[in-house]
Amino acid sequence: MTESIGSTPARVGAWNAAPGRQNPMRRLMDRFDGSVVPYLFVLPAALFMVGLMIYPTIFNVQISFQQMTAGNLLSGGAEWVGLANYQAMLEDPRFTTAFKNSLIFTAASMVFQIGIGLALALFYNQDFPGNLIMRPLYLVAYAVPVIVVASVFNWLLDGQYGVINWALRSLGIIDGPIFWLNDVNTALGGVIFINIWLGIPFNLTVLLAGLKSIPRELYEAAEVDGAGRFTKFWHITLPLLRPALLAVGMLGIIFTFKMFDVVWVATKGGPAGASDVLPTLSFKLVFEQFLFGKGAAVLNVMFLFLFVLSLIYLRVLNRQELRK
Amino acid sequence: MTRVVRSGYHLTFISLALLCIFLFPIYWMVLTSLKTTPQIFTYPPVFIPENLDFDMWINGILPDPNVWRYIRNSTIIATGTMVLTVLLAAPAAYAVAHLPIRGKSAIMIVSLSTLMFPAIMTAMPLFVIFSRLGLTNTYLGLILADTTLALPFAIVLLRPFFASIPKDLVEAARIDGCSQFGAFLRIIVPVARPGLMTAAIFAFLFGWGDLVFALALGDNNAVRPVTAGLWAYIGSFTNNWGGAMAFSTLAMAPPLVVFLITQRYVVAGLLAGGLKE
Repeated sequence: MTESIGSTPARVGAWNAAPGRQNPMRRLMDRFDGSVVPYLFVLPAALFMVGLMIYPTIFNVQISFQQMTAGNLLSGGAEWVGLANYQAMLEDPRFTTAFKNSLIFTAASMVFQIGIGLALALFYNQDFPGNLIMRPLYLVAYAVPVIVVASVFNWLLDGQYGVINWALRSLGIIDGPIFWLNDVNTALGGVIFINIWLGIPFNLTVLLAGLKSIPRELYEAAEVDGAGRFTKFWHITLPLLRPALLAVGMLGIIFTFKMFDVVWVATKGGPAGASDVLPTLSFKLVFEQFLFGKGAAVLNVMFLFLFVLSLIYLRVLNRQELRK
Repeated sequence: MTRVVRSGYHLTFISLALLCIFLFPIYWMVLTSLKTTPQIFTYPPVFIPENLDFDMWINGILPDPNVWRYIRNSTIIATGTMVLTVLLAAPAAYAVAHLPIRGKSAIMIVSLSTLMFPAIMTAMPLFVIFSRLGLTNTYLGLILADTTLALPFAIVLLRPFFASIPKDLVEAARIDGCSQFGAFLRIIVPVARPGLMTAAIFAFLFGWGDLVFALALGDNNAVRPVTAGLWAYIGSFTNNWGGAMAFSTLAMAPPLVVFLITQRYVVAGLLAGGLKE
């Protein structure tokens, strides 16, 4: 009996202070601690996500079927209007433009982000002095708030005094000043340009990590067989880089599609909606025109699109796992 | 052997050039804030001015009480987001990794799918909900909103960190009479510190850099963070590029400093997020 006291020293805060293993209180607390307490670990986070993310999403769906205005916002007496909001949305040319722009914005950003990111990753995969110091500096772009980036590029893309125009004119690519973000034809291109800059560090980091995981021996064996640079890239690098490319690709598409800050600060979706994307359009509908129902409709369409994309991503991930 | 050394430095030079091109916008931002107005509005642009002019800083930005108010607000909101996120995410990720509970996959699926929620999609219903609860234009409201950005990411990030901690560590603590929570706090948390740091840093950066929730839920001048403040500043002066660049530099400084100090963790976090298990 003295054994039990000696082998399990009492600790402050523990409930084995009472002598004897037969202490019923202790057994009860142990059971509680083993089976219920674990759920308490997850409870706060779960409550938060359900209350502040899941519920609002469902609320969104509800609002899209109602005629909510600034007047009945607080009292909650908005009437149900069925699919009227969705109909209004589909008939609104701003919606079709914004949807089209979102697709172009996402596709173009992805192509260049991944292309440039891959090129840089291949470059930084080589050994040279200063590599390890210079590489992380690209991530500075990641730490800077997007609004700051958009403001700077706003200035860089200025028609009269912007550096970009100066560079393009010096290289002879254009003749006169182009008002990138103020011209209906080039506004979307301008915001895509800024977004590419924003995405390069992430792509560079992930793709470089992917490159580094490819064993050197594979390249050496290929060289022995007489493979040239292109063959090595096409038959070794690209296939083995597929998981990393997939990751940056799918994650990039999702994050780019829902991007708000860049477009808002650079052009506010203008001029005249030329560079509007779905996030900026919905912001305007909700917070400038107070058309909550219509705004909710646009948001739901956006969510549906992203949801389908994520399902595709998970499907491809699963198939990749199975193939291994 | 000489050939190897020469080509090595050859690449260093290219790398330097690439980096300079890429980071040029940052240089241009800081430089513009240090130019005189005629120097700013000139073509061709002046890349290396003869002297630096601190007027915009000394007379424009630094004495402006609004600027400091916005920075204080951002600090409060970003720190609050960081603390709340870690407090919520760490136990949850640990439980999913090690504890006997049901519904683990549900939690992970919810976390992964909420990652793709556009902030604007949460902002609208939260605006309605917060308006009814009186949480608009409050620090708490903004902290709660920004945490919706950071929490899913933190959980997804932390789970593999906790999973890589050997179960025996936990078992040993439990045998010694520690409660679940005691074991978590005293043994697991110290070991998981790098992961927790990464999650904390990302939460801070998300909280500082958010614009959507700031505009939607907190545009009152008292709680407005620096992102919305910069937006308001740009909106009120049409061509004051010097001032806008100075304000931007100031807005960028704190997260940049945080990032430079904790760089290692940011890289680790990006890799964990990009190359999921």
